[in-house]
Amino acid sequence: MDFKPSPERQILFDTLKKYFENEYSLSDRNIAAHSDLGYSKKAWEAMRDLGILESLIDPELDGFGGTALDISTVFEALGRGLVVEPFLEVGILAAKVLSKGNEAQKSLVKKILENECLPILAHSETDTEYSKSFVETKLSVEADGSYKISGTKRMIKHASEATHFLVTCRNTGDASSKEGISIACIPTDREGIKIDSFATIDGGRVSDLTFTNVNISSEELVGELGMSYSIVSHAIDTGILAICSEALGIMERIKELTLEYLKTRKQFGVPIGKFQAIQHRMAQLLVEIEQARSSVINATIYFDDETEREKTISAAKFSIGKIGTLVAEESIQLHGGMGMTWEYDLGHYAKRLVLIDHEFGDEDFHLQKYISL
Amino acid sequence: MDLNFTKKQENFQIEVRSFLNDNLEPQVVEKVKNGIPITKEDSERWHQKLNEKGWLAGTWPKKYGGKEWDVVEKFIFEEECGSAGAPRIVPFGVGMLAPVLMKFGSQEQRDYWLPRMLTGEDWWCQGYSEPGSGSDLASLKTSAVRDGDYYIVNGQKTWTTFAQHANMIFCLVRTSNEGKPQEGISFILIDMNSPGIEVRPIITLDGSHEVNEIFFSDVKVPVKNLVGEENKGWTYAKYLLTHERTGNANVAVSKRKIQKLKKLADDAKKNEQPLSNDPMFASRLAQIEIDLQNLEITNLRTLASVENGEAPGAESSIIKILGSEIEQDIDNLTRKSLGKRAFVNEPDALSTGYNGAEVFPKAAAYASGKYFNHRKKSIYAGSNEIQKNIISKLMLNL
Repeated sequence: MDFKPSPERQILFDTLKKYFENEYSLSDRNIAAHSDLGYSKKAWEAMRDLGILESLIDPELDGFGGTALDISTVFEALGRGLVVEPFLEVGILAAKVLSKGNEAQKSLVKKILENECLPILAHSETDTEYSKSFVETKLSVEADGSYKISGTKRMIKHASEATHFLVTCRNTGDASSKEGISIACIPTDREGIKIDSFATIDGGRVSDLTFTNVNISSEELVGELGMSYSIVSHAIDTGILAICSEALGIMERIKELTLEYLKTRKQFGVPIGKFQAIQHRMAQLLVEIEQARSSVINATIYFDDETEREKTISAAKFSIGKIGTLVAEESIQLHGGMGMTWEYDLGHYAKRLVLIDHEFGDEDFHLQKYISL
Repeated sequence: MDLNFTKKQENFQIEVRSFLNDNLEPQVVEKVKNGIPITKEDSERWHQKLNEKGWLAGTWPKKYGGKEWDVVEKFIFEEECGSAGAPRIVPFGVGMLAPVLMKFGSQEQRDYWLPRMLTGEDWWCQGYSEPGSGSDLASLKTSAVRDGDYYIVNGQKTWTTFAQHANMIFCLVRTSNEGKPQEGISFILIDMNSPGIEVRPIITLDGSHEVNEIFFSDVKVPVKNLVGEENKGWTYAKYLLTHERTGNANVAVSKRKIQKLKKLADDAKKNEQPLSNDPMFASRLAQIEIDLQNLEITNLRTLASVENGEAPGAESSIIKILGSEIEQDIDNLTRKSLGKRAFVNEPDALSTGYNGAEVFPKAAAYASGKYFNHRKKSIYAGSNEIQKNIISKLMLNL
């Protein structure tokens, strides 16, 4: 039995941790995260130079990582840094989908690494429907064998700067059926696409996308017509593993910030960490965070096991959702008024941690899913 | 990262499983699985069988009759015992006193007492808590005053598990009132048959008799029964407590109990449907299952760190909190799943020779009793609040 990361992964994690501590200032991050773009192109390029994207992508597509353990290691580090740049959207969701496509689509993954494109998966359609197979966007087959798609995608992060959309759509089946789902990879300047962008509470921009009779050629489908559910499903499962790991990194950072505060903030003449009422709340957080870590380790171990993956992923996302919210709320409480300020780091970590529960299904959704599996 | 057992560990697991299969008595397993206290004779027969195999004290050094199991082998043995419904080895001698004697006792004490633990000649109990000294153990008052070759012991111990079976007790006693309370405590071994000892049962809220109070009036204890040095007992006691707190995850036991609960819920009806289909019930059960899965990994992570030479520190406090709370959650949901049948309290219905009306489902006979009895789990072995104090001090440095 051995739970230690391999020496290479430990070096990667330590390198990223140090980089974020020294080079990725949280105040700069906050300005960029709440700007019109929603992230910093300069930071994105600097971090790409570190090889972060390569570490998320399989060697056959010019990366040097891409396993569940690689992804978990990198995203824990990204969480510690509260990185808002689109590693999840581009490096995981889009890259995983494109890696199942034709040669032209696979070459887009290589172009991601060369900073020549920014593809974004456009999948979710309603605000409260988290099912991976929920797709109403319509794909119609035209007389000449080409296609048109029409429909709405909601809350697509980092979409406004995208070069390509990977749009899920269906030509047959009910809205939640796993049969009949296709993915179209199209440039974002194609006629018939409308983008409405919004600011977010945790940083980055989100967009609602409307597709009206957008033309698609048959070469633009990723995978076979109507057979692409497994591609989307696997990409989203990978995304869940990634943000659960991101949440772990955030929780560890919150733990550090809170402990530091408990040891320095004095009231009644002593550091507030001397009070048992405070100690027990903090000890409980530590216990919960260890359990959260175990849930992510479990999901990582079983990630390549087709029969166990979804169940362990749902158990992890449930655990992260429940524990993440607790850690966010408790850490704000333990900081008192300081936890309420924009200027101090904690609140920004807490916001991201809570909002992670709203991505890919919240704790209730994944508890129900766990029960159904 | 690698969660697999080695080939050697896997073979050991198979050996344990087959030994349990061949040697456990079905009627004792039935009691264990229903949470009914087993008799002294049940325990003694099981200890005897384990001792013949060399597994009663598997972690002991070979020279004392052990197998020198490492933490993983100990874990495998305990988990297999938990799954199979084997009686728990009564820990006070082999698991608690023995490590203290091996580290701090005299050679004469080791040579005399250790073999007797294995043969079952002695049944030990633990004299730690007192009426005024629970979580604040160091404030204990039971005194031992030197008089020639004897100590004269006066005072009272309480919550003493199985004192009714024991012929020996290891005790923390006060030998000095100088300095800090911790600095005047000694660790001595007392014959329960000495004149001046009186054991009174404490019946717990579920009606069972596990714990006792013990009164000492001018009890004469030979000086050779002092372990280590006088007034150094607190060090030995703390060493013992770290042993008491490992192995509290009880993952296998909890897994077995969840399987049983699922069966109960399949058979029970709510809204004319099996209870297991009820969304509220399913949600409660799934949350416990996920907590337990997470604990299983948390526990393995702790074992792996011990295996790699990082000593168990406050991590065992994390395990103790989680293990006890999860087991209590299962007992709680089991009680709920029985509906009105949870009023029944007929623990004898699970013993051989019961003549009363059949209890159905059988698990109902002691489900509420067990639920109340297991409230002890977050109280004993250092209450969960004490565990949080330890975490705060040792892990959070607050």
